[in-house]
Amino acid sequence: MKSSLQRNISMGLALFLISAFFTLHPKGAQFLSPQNLSNLSIELAITAILALGMLVVLLPGMIDLSVGSGAGMLGGIACVLVVSPQYLGLPGHGWPAFLALAAATLLALGLWAMMGALIIRYRVPAFIITLGGLLVFKGAHWAVIRNSTIPVAPGGTENFFSLLTTYYIPSWGGYLLLILVSAGLFFARRRRRWLRLRHGLPVDDPKVDFLKFFVMFQCLLLLVVVMNHYKGTPLPLVILGAVILAIQTITRNTRFGRYLYAIGGNEEAAVLSGINVQRVIIGAYLLLGGVVALTGFMQTAYGGYTTTTVGNLMELDAIAACVIGGTSLKGGRGTVSGVLFGALIMATLLNGMTLLAVTPEVKLIARGVVLVLAVWMDVRFSQTGK
Amino acid sequence: MENSPALLRVKRLIKRFGEMTVLKDVSFDLRAGEVHALCGENGAGKSTLIKCLSGVWPHGSYEGRIEVGGEEVRFGGIHEAEEAGVAVIHQELALAPEMTVAENIYLGSEPTRRGLIDWGVVYAGTEAMLREYGLDLDPAATVSSLGVGRQQLVEILKALSKKARILLLDEPTAALTDTEVEVLIRIVRDLRARGVGCVYISHRLDEVFALSDRITVLRDGETTGTLTTSSTDRNEVIRRMVGREIKDYYPRHPSRKGDVLLKVERLTVGGEEKGRQVAKEVDFEVRAGEVLGIGGLMGAGRTELLMHLFAGVGKRLGGNVFLRGNAHLPSPPAVSIGKGLMMVTEDRKREGLVLDQSIGFNLSLASLAQFTCRGLLDEGAEFRRNQRFFDSLGVKAPNQEMAVGRLSGGNQQKVVLGKALMTEPWVILLDEPTRGVDVGAKVDVYELINRLTYDGKAVVMVSSELPELMGMSDRILILSEGRSGGLFDRDEATPEKLMKAAMAHHARRITEKQT
Repeated sequence: MKSSLQRNISMGLALFLISAFFTLHPKGAQFLSPQNLSNLSIELAITAILALGMLVVLLPGMIDLSVGSGAGMLGGIACVLVVSPQYLGLPGHGWPAFLALAAATLLALGLWAMMGALIIRYRVPAFIITLGGLLVFKGAHWAVIRNSTIPVAPGGTENFFSLLTTYYIPSWGGYLLLILVSAGLFFARRRRRWLRLRHGLPVDDPKVDFLKFFVMFQCLLLLVVVMNHYKGTPLPLVILGAVILAIQTITRNTRFGRYLYAIGGNEEAAVLSGINVQRVIIGAYLLLGGVVALTGFMQTAYGGYTTTTVGNLMELDAIAACVIGGTSLKGGRGTVSGVLFGALIMATLLNGMTLLAVTPEVKLIARGVVLVLAVWMDVRFSQTGK
Repeated sequence: MENSPALLRVKRLIKRFGEMTVLKDVSFDLRAGEVHALCGENGAGKSTLIKCLSGVWPHGSYEGRIEVGGEEVRFGGIHEAEEAGVAVIHQELALAPEMTVAENIYLGSEPTRRGLIDWGVVYAGTEAMLREYGLDLDPAATVSSLGVGRQQLVEILKALSKKARILLLDEPTAALTDTEVEVLIRIVRDLRARGVGCVYISHRLDEVFALSDRITVLRDGETTGTLTTSSTDRNEVIRRMVGREIKDYYPRHPSRKGDVLLKVERLTVGGEEKGRQVAKEVDFEVRAGEVLGIGGLMGAGRTELLMHLFAGVGKRLGGNVFLRGNAHLPSPPAVSIGKGLMMVTEDRKREGLVLDQSIGFNLSLASLAQFTCRGLLDEGAEFRRNQRFFDSLGVKAPNQEMAVGRLSGGNQQKVVLGKALMTEPWVILLDEPTRGVDVGAKVDVYELINRLTYDGKAVVMVSSELPELMGMSDRILILSEGRSGGLFDRDEATPEKLMKAAMAHHARRITEKQT
C-alpha cells in the first residue's frame, strides 16, 4: 500500500517536471494553451485506452505485442470499407461508417480470441504468438490499403468514423458530465467508506477523504474549463471515461477480474481453486481485441486517414504506460489508476516533443529511454516490495 | 574396517529455525569405505542434516562440530564443501537436461586450451570414467533422453569427477525403477570398495539392510545411536524410528457416522512417466463425520491419489469413484468443487495461495460465485463472509487486508483451509495439513477437523506423521508403493503395525529383485 502511494507521488512529480520543462522551454509557450491541451487530451485518451486493454492481459502474466499493428490494420479496414470497398473485392460505393466499424470490431474480437486460444490451449508463449500477430497484421494492413492513403470519410465529409475524434461536447454538456461524474465518484467513495467502516477496516480520516475527493473534483473542473476554452470536451475523453469505468469495474468488481490477478499471482493455486484458466485468458484477449479495434478507429480518425505507418509502436507506448504505472510484467500486480498515470506521462512526453519540433529520431530515442527506465523501475520496485 | 579412520564426524549438531529446533542432537561418524545408512521418519531431520553437511546451511547457522578427515571444517557454502570432497546426490536432480552426459559431468570445471573448451579432454575423460566404473552410457547422449536412474548415475559421476570422497545420497531410489535401483546399488558397492564413504539416506529398510555397514536412526532431530547392520534387525530399527510417546494433544472427538460420501473401488491410476502406476487397486470409503487417515512413506502415491480424485491428474486405468453416490469421473478442480469435493494441497505457497494478495482475496477465491449478483461482486457480502472465516479461524493478523505472504506458516495454512471450507464441501481432502506449522496452530487445525466432522463432512487426511495420523483418524489406510498396505481401525493401529504396512510392498520389490 505504501509503495503504491509512493509510486503515485513520484509519478505525479515526474509528470510535473516533464510539463514544467516543456512549458519553460523557449519554444514551448504553446504547451499549456487550450488548443494543445485539447490535442493532448485526445492523444492521452488513445494511449490510455490501449494501455488499459493491455493491463487486462498483463495482469494474468501475458503480453500482446500485436496491438499497434492490429490497431493500424483495423482502422485501415474500416477506412477501406467506408471509402473504397472495391479494394476488398466488395461491391457498392462504400459502407455506412457505423457498419464498417462494427464489421472491423467483429473481426478484431475473432482474431484476438484466436490468439488467446493459441496461447493458452497449446501453451505457445504469448510473446511469440503476438509477435507473429504484429507481423501478420502489419502485412495485412498494407495489403488491404494497397500501400496507399485512404481517408476516414470520403472527400471532406463527416461521418460517424471521423467524428470519433472531431466531435466536441458543447460547454453546457461538459459541465453536465462534470456534475454526473463527480456525483458518481462521490457516492462510490461514500459507499466504499461505509462498507469498510462496517467491517472494521481502516479508513482515511474524514478530512483526508474529503480532501482527496476535492482534489479530484478540482482536476476534473479544471479540465472541463480548459477544454471549453477551445472547442469543448473532446469525445475521446468521454470514451476514455467510459473505458476507465468499464475496466475498473471489471478488474475490481467481477469474478473475471479477480481471476486475472489470481492467475498472474499464482496460476497453480488458481487452477486448484477451480478457476478455468483457459476461459479467463481467452476472455482477456477478447476484451483486448475490442479495445484494439476502438483505439485503431480513434488513432486513424485522429490522423484523418489510414496509411502504412498508422499504429507504429503503439504497443510499446501501451506496455510502457502499464509498466510505468506499476503493472508487473510477471503478472498479478497493476491498477487502473497507475496505468492512467503512466499513459499521461507517455502522452505528455510525445506531445511536448512534437510541439518543440523534436526530430523523429530523437523522439524514438527518448521513448526508448523512458521504456527502459520504466522496466528498470519495475524490477526495482518488485524487489523492494517483497 | 573397525580401525579405519573417520572420514566424516558429526558431533552434537543442533540446528534451529526460529523457535523450531529441527536437529536437537545429532552425532555420528562415517568411515572410509563404508556405507552408513541414516534412517528416520519423514520430518526427523534427515534433509536438514544433509544441508548442514553440504554447506547449504553455512557454518555459524548451526551449533556443533563437523569434522572431515579429523579436522573441523567450517563450510561457508556449497563450493567449499565440494572442495573438501563432500558431494550430495539429491532427490531432485541438478543436471542441465538439454546438455550431454559429458558436458554435465564437466559443467563448471571445463578444461580449456587457450581460452576455448577442450572438448577432446571432456569426452575422453568421460569415457575413461565410464569404463572405470563399468557403465554403459553414451557420453554424447542428451541427459533428458536418459531415464531417471541413468540421470542419477550421471550425477554421481559428476560428483566423483570432482574427487568427492564423501557422498551424501538423499533418497536416491525414490524415483527409480527396480532395475535402476539394482545398478545404483552395484555402483555404491563399487564406490565402497574404492574407499569412498557414503551416507545413504532412505526409509526403505530393505535397501538399507542390503547395502549398509552401519545404521544410524534419527528420531525427532536426535540420533538414537548407531547400529551395526549385521547384528541388528528391522524390528529394532523400526522401534527406534517410532519409539516415542504419543502425547495427548490430538483432541479427536469421534462424531456420529452418516452415509458414505466418498467411495473408491479398485482404483488404478497411471503416473506421468509411462508405465508407472501411482495407485494400484486402491479401495476405501469415507462416511459423513469420519476422518480417514492415509499414511505411507514418501513416494507411496498418497498425494497422487488425492490429486487424481480432486483434479483428475493422471490417467484412470481402472476402478470407480463415487461421490455422494454418483460416479465421479476424472475432472478439473472446478467441477470437483462444484460437486462438493475440495482439496487442501501440501505446498501452500506453490499451490495454495496468491502470496501478493490479501487474506480476504485468498479466502474467497474459490467461492466468488456465492457473492456474484448480476455479474458483479457484492463487496459487502464478500467482506462479511471473509470476516466470519477470518475470525473463526483465528488468523493472527491486524485485518483481512494484509498480504498473505507476510503471515506465518500456521496462519497461511488457516487461510488455505478457510478457502477450502468456504466452498462448502461435502468431502475435504487434506494433504499434510500441518506441515511446517507450529504446535499451537497445529492444534487449531485439529480442532477445525473435529468441527468439520461434527458438521457431517467427510475428511480424508494424508499425513506423514504417525502420531498425527493415529491421533486424528477414525480409520487409517496405509499405502505402500501405490497399493493398499492395510486398513486399520483407530483402536487397532500401533506404530509398528503401520510402519510394517507402509513397507509391505517394498519387501516384495526387493525379493523380486534378488531372484
